[in-house]
Amino acid sequence: MNKIKSFTHWLLLGLILFSSTSMADKKLINIAGWGGNDVVAVNKLLTTVIKSELDELNIEVRYFPVESDYGRYILNSLSAGNAPDAFYVNVDLIDSWVSTGQLKAFSDSFAANAQRMNPVLLDAFTVDNQLFGVPKDVNSLALQFNIDVFKDAKTPVPDENDTWLTLREKLVSVVEAIGDEGVLGTCLSADFAHFSPFALSTGWRPFNEEGKTVLDDNFKRAFNFYVSLVHDGLAIIPADIGQNWPGGCFGTENFAVVMEGQWLSGYLVDKSPNLLYQSTLIPADPKTGERGNMLFTVGWAINNNTANASDVEKVIALLTSDKAQRAILAAGLALPSSNTIVLPAAAEDSPSEQMAQTILTASTLDNVIPYKFGRYGKNWQTPIDVALTAAMLKQLTIEQALSEAQRKYDEMIMISTNKQQGEQ
Amino acid sequence: MRQSNKLSSIPESYYKRRRWAKAAWVYSALLLIATITLGTFLIAFMASLKDNALSEPTNFNFAQVRPSNWVSSMQLGLGGNQAPFFGGFSPGAELTFSVTYAVTNDQTFSIPVIKIPRRRPGTGMAATLTTDFAADYALVSEPKIIERNDNVSYIFKRGIKNESKQGKSVTWQFSIRYLGDGPVIDTVPLDITTPREQVLINSSLDPSRFERRGRVASWVNVSPGVIGYVFRSYVRVWNESVSLETGKSMFLSWTYNSFIIALAKVLLTVFIACSAGYALARMNFSGVRSIFLLMIFSMTIPGQVTFISNYEIFNKLGLLNTPWAVITMLVASGQVLIMKQFFEKFPKELEEAALVDGASPIAILWHVFLPLAKPALASIIILGFQGAWNDFFWPMVVLTSPADIYTLPVGLLSLRNAYGVAGDWSLILAGSFLTTIPVLIVFIIFQKHFTGNNIGTAVKG
Amino acid sequence: MSMKTLQRNFYGWLLVLPFVITLVVFFVFALIRTVKYSFTDYDLFSEANFVGINNYINLLTDELFLRATINTISFSLVVTIIQTMLALGLAVLLNSRIKAKSFFRTAFYVPSILSSASVTLIFIWIYQKNGFLNGFISQLSELSSYFVLGLFSLAVVQLVQIAHQRFIGLPTKFFDPLLALISMITTIIVIIIVSKLGLLETTTVKVAVNWLGSRDDFGPMPVTLWAITIQNIYTTVPTIMLLFLAGLQTIPHDLYEAADIDGANKWQQLFHITIPQLAPVTFVVITLGIIGTLQMFDQVALLGTSSPLESRITLAYYVYYQAFSDSGTPNIGASSAAALILGIITLCIVFLQNKFGVKEKS
Repeated sequence: MNKIKSFTHWLLLGLILFSSTSMADKKLINIAGWGGNDVVAVNKLLTTVIKSELDELNIEVRYFPVESDYGRYILNSLSAGNAPDAFYVNVDLIDSWVSTGQLKAFSDSFAANAQRMNPVLLDAFTVDNQLFGVPKDVNSLALQFNIDVFKDAKTPVPDENDTWLTLREKLVSVVEAIGDEGVLGTCLSADFAHFSPFALSTGWRPFNEEGKTVLDDNFKRAFNFYVSLVHDGLAIIPADIGQNWPGGCFGTENFAVVMEGQWLSGYLVDKSPNLLYQSTLIPADPKTGERGNMLFTVGWAINNNTANASDVEKVIALLTSDKAQRAILAAGLALPSSNTIVLPAAAEDSPSEQMAQTILTASTLDNVIPYKFGRYGKNWQTPIDVALTAAMLKQLTIEQALSEAQRKYDEMIMISTNKQQGEQ
Repeated sequence: MRQSNKLSSIPESYYKRRRWAKAAWVYSALLLIATITLGTFLIAFMASLKDNALSEPTNFNFAQVRPSNWVSSMQLGLGGNQAPFFGGFSPGAELTFSVTYAVTNDQTFSIPVIKIPRRRPGTGMAATLTTDFAADYALVSEPKIIERNDNVSYIFKRGIKNESKQGKSVTWQFSIRYLGDGPVIDTVPLDITTPREQVLINSSLDPSRFERRGRVASWVNVSPGVIGYVFRSYVRVWNESVSLETGKSMFLSWTYNSFIIALAKVLLTVFIACSAGYALARMNFSGVRSIFLLMIFSMTIPGQVTFISNYEIFNKLGLLNTPWAVITMLVASGQVLIMKQFFEKFPKELEEAALVDGASPIAILWHVFLPLAKPALASIIILGFQGAWNDFFWPMVVLTSPADIYTLPVGLLSLRNAYGVAGDWSLILAGSFLTTIPVLIVFIIFQKHFTGNNIGTAVKG
Repeated sequence: MSMKTLQRNFYGWLLVLPFVITLVVFFVFALIRTVKYSFTDYDLFSEANFVGINNYINLLTDELFLRATINTISFSLVVTIIQTMLALGLAVLLNSRIKAKSFFRTAFYVPSILSSASVTLIFIWIYQKNGFLNGFISQLSELSSYFVLGLFSLAVVQLVQIAHQRFIGLPTKFFDPLLALISMITTIIVIIIVSKLGLLETTTVKVAVNWLGSRDDFGPMPVTLWAITIQNIYTTVPTIMLLFLAGLQTIPHDLYEAADIDGANKWQQLFHITIPQLAPVTFVVITLGIIGTLQMFDQVALLGTSSPLESRITLAYYVYYQAFSDSGTPNIGASSAAALILGIITLCIVFLQNKFGVKEKS
């Protein structure tokens, strides 16, 4: 009898101790995202900006950066069952990840609050009328120009009134004046992401109403212009000078203009910190008078197997709140996805702040679509990339390159429809 | 008939000279091959020292090899932090720096605008977290003219065009002082701006780059110390690849991981190869033939055929992203074969005596055969170590996150992805060389054992 | 069964057990599972559903797979043949007693002991469009007139010497080493004089071969894979050459002496004595070479975005790419099917080589 008594005493004591400690314990939420600058950004948010709100909710958040192959890491851990509660999802992967059933839709109240964000972005993360990701920042393309190059070439700098043709004239003027010093007009990447502003400004869209990809005359017009810059000696591709991307070219200070996103400023700070540059909008299509652009964004998504979805939602709400986005913007780490944030006036000697303003303006114009391609993912853009490369390097004529690309798109759509029918 | 001119017999010296000449050709050819194999690495090493490894790839007279820069960087390091090798900037420091500019005779000089920019010292993660900047503590004095020269010829670079000019030059000197008290700072960047026609023709230290089409001369660090200057890429790659959680250098972690994994794998291999090799060679038990055939079969099938299943096994065991996934995934067929063939060569009498005494086969293996197996053991140890150290595919599949659990080759891949985008080839080359140092040391020490036993790895490349 | 047999079986299996466990788990079981997955639509998450031979049919219509297969087989044949023949040729040429063996051994082994990752990164730098190789070739091309002059003078001086010696009755051969040495030295002096006097023009040439980034083919393989071929051969030939050299030293001299007496010339001796005697070494070199090159993966992964996928893809990488490409979900079914095809191709080529090519015993 005594033994049983003492046993129950110990048991009760243990239970009390256990429950008291667990009540004082914070709820732990694991989140994961990219490495690099994101570590700085997220840690900044967690340790200073939203710390008090998290403490009030009795939540502890741990950020786990993934250095490389982020997509693979997330898919692996989802299949192993030890994935974090919330994680980044790139906008071009949202459809394919949702189809695996591993993401949880956000609640209606959350979605309502998110309406203050850029509608194009929200739509990009919406599948079957449910919101699966909430954009944490936005990026788009602008035209950056090297002030010293234009000054030495005695050419007026590009501005918002430029069309493709007037920009071209300015590049010709630069190359004629100081081309012998090794200066070139611009550096063009043979990939759809960089080519998109031209293609989209003509009114063309990657998928028409029937969901097919048709490279129509509008597309051809943009393609012609883009490739002709290389053919006429006004532009080169980055690989020609051992670079990987147009930003790398621009950093060599031998290029008049380049078309890149906000990430260029961080790169230039290290590569050529004294480069004097400004940004303006990418020129408009002379025929339609309109501009086009691509929205690049990353969102937070919830793991479908998470234990406490409402807490995770609260954390994500804090991470993407206006307060958080303002802090990130002030630190120059990313541009806000929320439309209710008013940008402070750019400091005069800060080209990066001026670029931010330009890009945010660009992201609100017409013909702006998100960087996603349905279930095809990024592989969708490969035929256009191949066509651009082949045409730029003169391995194929423009006609041949485009017809080959169109053939591949017809095949792609056909395989996909067969697959869908097979699954039904 | 001119018989007198022809030789009646061929002198011995004829053949002797020819043998000598043939030897000369053979040695020359061998030296040529050695030059090609070693020369490539030498060239890559030199390029890893350059500021920009892709500019003028065949030019090897760049800033880092000029002795005048070595002397200056040492002096500046002394002035900045009493540290001639790694430099720095500490309280009470005073750096003296001079720059010489030239203009044509009909132009006038403008005083150079000297500034210490508040700039982070590099691109890696460690650099973004820097909190101490030289700009906050440094004071630049007014530049004073210390020398004039009325007749100089210099080259004015207009982009890739070079124009020779005649004119006059002026040398300014200024000092950079550390105001007050504060932390020791690693790098002191410097920017000097002048109009485009005013050309920098000499300076205490060669500038790291010219910006704004020649208007700005920019130094990454004016107090580098000799090692910090000549081996800047190496110092950068070492310091910037730092794990954010522990602050430890990733190169150290990667080397440590590679070493531990290689050591463990070698031990495991020796154990398996000796026991299985002996059994297959000396013991005729049922099933020997099938195991042998299976073993040969496994040597022809590539790792890609089996990796998904193995990956899933380790996933289920929760051993992904741990060294165990690399260590235990081991099918040592090659080494078993080597030991088997080695053990087969011994005569039967060797074990018969022990068998008669009633010893178990394990004892026989341990006492009789193992002591004799030293050459073969050396061979599989070297092969195993080298194979494990350089293994790429499987560690890449199972070690994904965090970055400090990588082995060296996988770490190199992540380095290439991180810096390849920025076109920072000096860093990538420096990283490659850093990873080769341990293997080179092992090789030089154990050189003798490598020869002839290296067939497998030698042939695949 | 006798006690002795039982005991032998027991100990035999005990000793061989660790090895057999790894063999069964990591090889046999893995192989069986791969075969199973190749007939399903497994994607690491959901259940694997049986789809028959769909994966195999899809592979046959996938341009990337066909490309990868052709690349892999071509790469394997080209590299194995070149590296074996080059190493053998060099070994025969250089077969004499050499001093300073350890220096040369070290120098020759250095490329092959470094990890493929380090070597590949260094070569990616060398192969850049504005990188070292193109710069070097440009500089050499600018000196092409000097090359022509050199060859011409070599030929002339050599012929003059031979004519003289033949005339006075010495049986000098055309490639006599002593005379060649004298010719070479004379030629170098001629070149130096001509260059100092500035008699020959040099042109500015800029060679800009796109080694890595091009989508072109050169013969059966993309240019990128040829670049990797050069890198591979550079790494392996010196060490294989040393292997052949060691093998050459073991061939008994009396075989050659007998052939000399019979009147066989150098070429006949090479084909009828040297090569057959080297058969064991050659067999190992070729077989391991084939197996290794068919699995080429590291260089493809390290090249990454420096090259378009089609110009660098091999079957081994295709298998990995189908499983772990970072856009979209894993396609384990296709990956397994491709892996099996790779395995079958390997077995076929090794078997064919064994039957029709160099055998283990002469």
